[in-house]
Amino acid sequence: MSTKRFMAGAAFLAVGALALTACTSGTDAASSSEPAAGGGASSAAGGGASSAAAEPVTMTFWQNSTTGDGKKYWEDTVAAFEKEYPNVTIDVQAIQNEEMDGKLQTSLNANEGPDIFMARGGGKLADIVDAGQVMDITSGITEASKSAVGSALSAFAVEGKNYGMPVSILPSGIFYANDLFTAAGITTPPATISDLETADAALRSSGVDPIAVGAKDAWPAAHWYYNFALRACSQSVIEQSALSRSFDDPCWLTAGQNLEAFLKTEPFNKGFLTTPAQQGAGSSAGLIANHKAAMELMGAWDPGVIADLTADKKPLADLKWFPFPDVPGGQGAPGAMMGGVDGYSCWVNAPAACVDFLNFIVEKANQEAYANAFKTLPASTEAQSVVTDPALKDILNAYNSAPYVILWLDTQFGQNIGNALNVAVVDMFAGKGSPQAIVDAVNSAAAKS
Amino acid sequence: MTTVRDASPVTTTSAPGTSDSGEGLPPSPGFLVAEGRRGRGIGWGARLELGLLIGPALIVFVAFVIYPVIMAAYYGFFSWKGFGPPTKFVGLRNYVTILTDPDFHEALTHNAFIVVMSLLIQGPIAIGLALLLNRKLRFRSLLRVLIFVPFVISEVVVGIGWSLMLQTDGALNGLLNKVGLGALGSEWLSNPSIAIWTLMIIITWKYIGFAVILFLAGLQGVPTELSEAASIDGASYWQVQRYIVLPLLGPTIRIWAFLSIIGSLQLFDLVWIIWGQYISSTAGTSTMATYMVSNGRNAGSYGYGSAVAVVMFFISFFVAILYQRFVLRRDTAGAITQGGS
Repeated sequence: MSTKRFMAGAAFLAVGALALTACTSGTDAASSSEPAAGGGASSAAGGGASSAAAEPVTMTFWQNSTTGDGKKYWEDTVAAFEKEYPNVTIDVQAIQNEEMDGKLQTSLNANEGPDIFMARGGGKLADIVDAGQVMDITSGITEASKSAVGSALSAFAVEGKNYGMPVSILPSGIFYANDLFTAAGITTPPATISDLETADAALRSSGVDPIAVGAKDAWPAAHWYYNFALRACSQSVIEQSALSRSFDDPCWLTAGQNLEAFLKTEPFNKGFLTTPAQQGAGSSAGLIANHKAAMELMGAWDPGVIADLTADKKPLADLKWFPFPDVPGGQGAPGAMMGGVDGYSCWVNAPAACVDFLNFIVEKANQEAYANAFKTLPASTEAQSVVTDPALKDILNAYNSAPYVILWLDTQFGQNIGNALNVAVVDMFAGKGSPQAIVDAVNSAAAKS
Repeated sequence: MTTVRDASPVTTTSAPGTSDSGEGLPPSPGFLVAEGRRGRGIGWGARLELGLLIGPALIVFVAFVIYPVIMAAYYGFFSWKGFGPPTKFVGLRNYVTILTDPDFHEALTHNAFIVVMSLLIQGPIAIGLALLLNRKLRFRSLLRVLIFVPFVISEVVVGIGWSLMLQTDGALNGLLNKVGLGALGSEWLSNPSIAIWTLMIIITWKYIGFAVILFLAGLQGVPTELSEAASIDGASYWQVQRYIVLPLLGPTIRIWAFLSIIGSLQLFDLVWIIWGQYISSTAGTSTMATYMVSNGRNAGSYGYGSAVAVVMFFISFFVAILYQRFVLRRDTAGAITQGGS
C-alpha cells in the first residue's frame, strides 16, 4: 500500500516538473502527507494555534447539497472553520449528488482530487483506498470526535484503518402517512410481513396505493431485497458476503423468495417501474407528500425530501415511521437495521488541515446545525438531542437499540456488483427475474469488472 | 478505391519507361506531377496556411477521436476501475464476457429491431410525405415546418416530454379515460411487451422530419421534364412516381437508410432520458450504448466498458462496410468514375 502511494506521488512529481506551479503543489503534497498524523495529534491537544502559525493553506471541498439549507449549512460551517484557522481557505463546491461519483473518479484519476470529498464507506471507498487516493486519518481523529460519532466511524474503516468521518447516520425503515392509515382503519403499525399485507389490502380498498417505490432509480426497489436479506441472513453471513463479494449462503435465495411472495400481493403503486425516488410530485416521495400513497421504505433522509415536495414545502405533519417488519423463520436478529452513513474523506495529498476540518464538523454545535439543516440524524450522539421530528425520533430510538446495523448492500459490494444486484431486483419487481437470478447476477458481476 | 486501383498499374507500367531514359532516380509520372504541383503551387507560405487551417482541427480530431479510440482498445484488455493506470491485464476475458452475456444479446436484439423497424416504418411514411409536400398544396410551408420541428428539438426535451405524457398517470392515459376509452390505457413505458413499440413511435416522430427533408431535397434533383414526358405518354400519377421518381430518388433513399442504420445502432440519449440509468433492460429497451454506460461508467468498470465500446465500434464498422460494399457501391462508383474521366 505505502509503496503504491509513494509511486503515485513520484508520478505526480514527474508530471509536475512540466509546470512550475504544479511543482510547488507537488512539494506541498509531499510535505503535508508526512505530518498528517502529527498534525491531527497537535490539534487534539486543543491548539488550532500551532497550525495557525503555519503557512497559508487552500483546500477544495466537494459536498452534494446544491440548494437551500444544506448548501447554506456548509457555507456557514466553512466560514466558522476559517475563522478558527485563519491560515486556511476552503473553496466549497456544491456538486449534484448523481454526478459526484463520476466527477470524483475523473479528478482522482488525474491526480487532482478535491482535498475534502463526500464518501459513503463500503466497497466504493475501498476501491479508492485500493487506488491509494484517500488519506489514512486513523491517528488524526481526535478522542473527542471518536467518542462523539462512536460506531458510525466503522463505516469508513478498511482493513483496520480509518478513511473518513461520518456526519450523518441514515438507517432505513418504512415511512407512512398516519392519516391514510387512520382512514383505512389501521391502528397499529404492521409488525410482521403478514400484518403489512393485511394493511396493504385495507389501504388499497380505502382508495390509495399502499406502498410507493421509485424503481426507476433501482436502489429504492433493491432496498426491499436488502431488508428481506437482513431478516433472512445472520450478521456473520452478511459480513462474510461483503468480504467475498458473493452470495453463497442459501439465505440470499430465501430473501429473494420472500420478496417474490410479497410482490405477488401487488402492494406497490401503479407504474412503479418509471417512478423516480425523489424528483417531483410523481416520485415516490412526492406520492407520500401528496397522500397518493401511504408508505415507502427509505433512509432517514426521507423527512427532508418529503418536506420539499409537499404543497406548502413544509414537513408532512402526519409522517410517521416503523421498522421493517419481521419475517418469520429468518436468521437475522430482531431489531437489526439496514442503513447508510454519509461522511467526508481527505484526498491522499490533502493538507493536514483537512483532518482538522473533519474533526471540526463533528463538534456538537456543528452537528446540531447539520441535523436541523438537513432534517436528518446527526452522526454525533451528543447532537442527537436536537432531533424533534416524531418520525426521526422513532428511527433514532430503533437505531440506538438495534443489535447491529448493516450498511446498504450496494455500497458494501461496490458499484460494479451493487448495480448488478439492484438491476436484478428491479427485474424481479417487473416480473422478469427470479430469486435465483438475483443470486446469479451478484456472482457473475465480478467477471464484468 | 477505384482511382487508387486504376492508378497503380499505370505508374508501375510507366516506371520502367522512365527509368530507361533517365538514370539514378526513376520518378514515376504520378510522382512527377505531384512533385511539380508541390514545387509550383505549395510554397512555404501555402504550407503554413494549410498547417494553420488544418492544424487545429487535426489536433482536436486526433486528441478527441483517434487517441480515445486507441486508448479504449487498450483499456479493453484490462480489469480497471478507473483509478490510476490499469495494471490487471485480463486478455480477452472482457470480450468473452460481453459476447456470452445474455444482457448484451438482448441489447443487440433491441438494436437490430430498431434498425429494421426504423427503415420499415420511417421509409414509406417519409417518402409518402415527401411526395405529398412536393406538390403544390395550401399551407405547404407550414406543413413542412411542422414535420421538421421534432427533429430540431433536443433529445432531452423530447425524452422528458414524452415520458411525462406516457406515465401511468400521464396525459395519454388521462385523455383515454376522459373520452371513455380507459380500457385502452396501458403502462406505455414500463410494460416490457409494449415499451419497445413506444420507443419506435417516439423515434419515428422524432426523426421522420429528417428523412422527409432529405427526400424533398432529392426530389428537387428529379427533372420535371421526365415526369412531364411520361404523363404525355399516358402514364398515370402513380406510374410516374413508381417508375420515374422513385428510381431517381434511389441514391437519396440509400444514403438516408445508411444514416438511419448507424443512428439506430448507436441509439442512446432517448432511451437514457426516458428509462433512466437502470431500468432500460428491464423494460426491454436497452441498447448497446446504454449497456456500455451501465456496465462501464456506472458500474465503475472502465476496462469492461471500453471493451463494449470496441465491440460496438466493430459492429457499426462492419455494418457500414457491408452497406458500402453491397448497397452504396453503385452510387459511389458512379461518382468516382465521373470524377476520374
